[in-house]
Amino acid sequence: MAAEFLEEVSRRSGQRFEGCYHCLSCGGGCPVVEAMDYNPNQIIRMVQRGMREEVLGSKAIWVCVGCFSCLSQCPNRVHIPAMMDTLREMALEAGVRVAEPEILAFHRAFLGEVRRWGRVYELGLVLKYKLSTGKFFEDFSVGFKMMAKGRLQLLPSRVKGEEQIKRIMNGTRRLR
Amino acid sequence: MKVGYYPGCSLHSSAQEMGESFWDLMRPLGVEALELEDWNCCGSSPAHSTHHGWALNLAMRNLLLAEEQSLKELLVMCPSCFVRLREAARQVQSDPEKGEQVSKALGRPYGGSVRLKFFLEMLRDVGTEQMRSLLKKPLKGIKGALYYGCLLSRPEWITGFDVGPYESFLENLFRTLGGEVAHWGYGRQCCGAHLGITKPGLVSSLVDRIREHARRAGANCIVVFCPLCQVNLEMRGRKEPALPVLYITELLGLAAELPRTTRWLGRHLVDPRPVLREARLL
Repeated sequence: MAAEFLEEVSRRSGQRFEGCYHCLSCGGGCPVVEAMDYNPNQIIRMVQRGMREEVLGSKAIWVCVGCFSCLSQCPNRVHIPAMMDTLREMALEAGVRVAEPEILAFHRAFLGEVRRWGRVYELGLVLKYKLSTGKFFEDFSVGFKMMAKGRLQLLPSRVKGEEQIKRIMNGTRRLR
Repeated sequence: MKVGYYPGCSLHSSAQEMGESFWDLMRPLGVEALELEDWNCCGSSPAHSTHHGWALNLAMRNLLLAEEQSLKELLVMCPSCFVRLREAARQVQSDPEKGEQVSKALGRPYGGSVRLKFFLEMLRDVGTEQMRSLLKKPLKGIKGALYYGCLLSRPEWITGFDVGPYESFLENLFRTLGGEVAHWGYGRQCCGAHLGITKPGLVSSLVDRIREHARRAGANCIVVFCPLCQVNLEMRGRKEPALPVLYITELLGLAAELPRTTRWLGRHLVDPRPVLREARLL
């Protein structure tokens, strides 16, 4: 079981994890580590130990924004951001409870815009995200200021290749 | 000269001034933009965070369009779009399986004829001397903390792009235009990216730290190259007093006294005009 999980993460992310000797450079340079439940190197260790449920249900995999500072600092070039991409994808496939529902709600709202228009309609994105999380009044004044200053496009623009976009984005609706 | 151009979603909305200021700057040099017809979103973080196929195919559709429209070069302004497009092209060219995935989803294979170009490459190709020829009002009194953010500071062996080679060019350019470059160690720190929306508290603490270091280095503004950095640095932060956050191209436009400058400056959430007035640039 342990080997299976490790093998899958390894294959899908194109990474080998035995190079990690837990020097903690990744977490040390990570700008968002304080919001993670496990440090990036701990996630690697957990993957090696086959802790599928804990890893796929962790906050850490969603909090990672993929800024690549861990990778720049890793002495063994373990591509942690690629591993995180794979883990998020696996978490969605497995249907586990996502530990950072708001972050997923943002991705969902964003991809919904892309599916609908082929481009991101920022105003629609923000409204949809706020409605889905119930945080409608948070940032209300900033949003208003941006609109007043003409920083948000009022109407969406749509691509002509709609069919192609819909084909590419097949399955977005299933994002929970 | 006409250049194929991929604006990306932000430049049509929250970062309009970034594109406007860049093209207003290029026009006097004889460069015109030819927008990629029917371009679509690159997929950005939400796509690669959830499904590798969405990320790959969204990005590749643009490269296929550019190829169909016989564009040899495609200029990209937003570093996030740039890295996504570049990464997708790299995958397709190095992994036949990915290439097949793309042909299947998009109906034809990618020939690989489009050269992606980031806007800083274009600025560098134009060169400091040409830029000097546009200079009407030196940026005296502006001490800028150049903030590259995470996308520009990634290792080159990954994305094929690294700000390293541009850093000294940018510093020189800034000095040539009469500005002063603040020395600080926070230019490569991540701004928090999309967590700016979902985790405002966390991103505020990142922004506070960036502001604090910029201020300690004596900067009176932060100079940015990315639409998302720009928004986060203006919108977030709680404790530290806000610093104006300007796109490099806006400052260049100011130095060249381009007519639309005042319009861009009026769109900021942190009004840069008091600082600019103090430096007698307005």
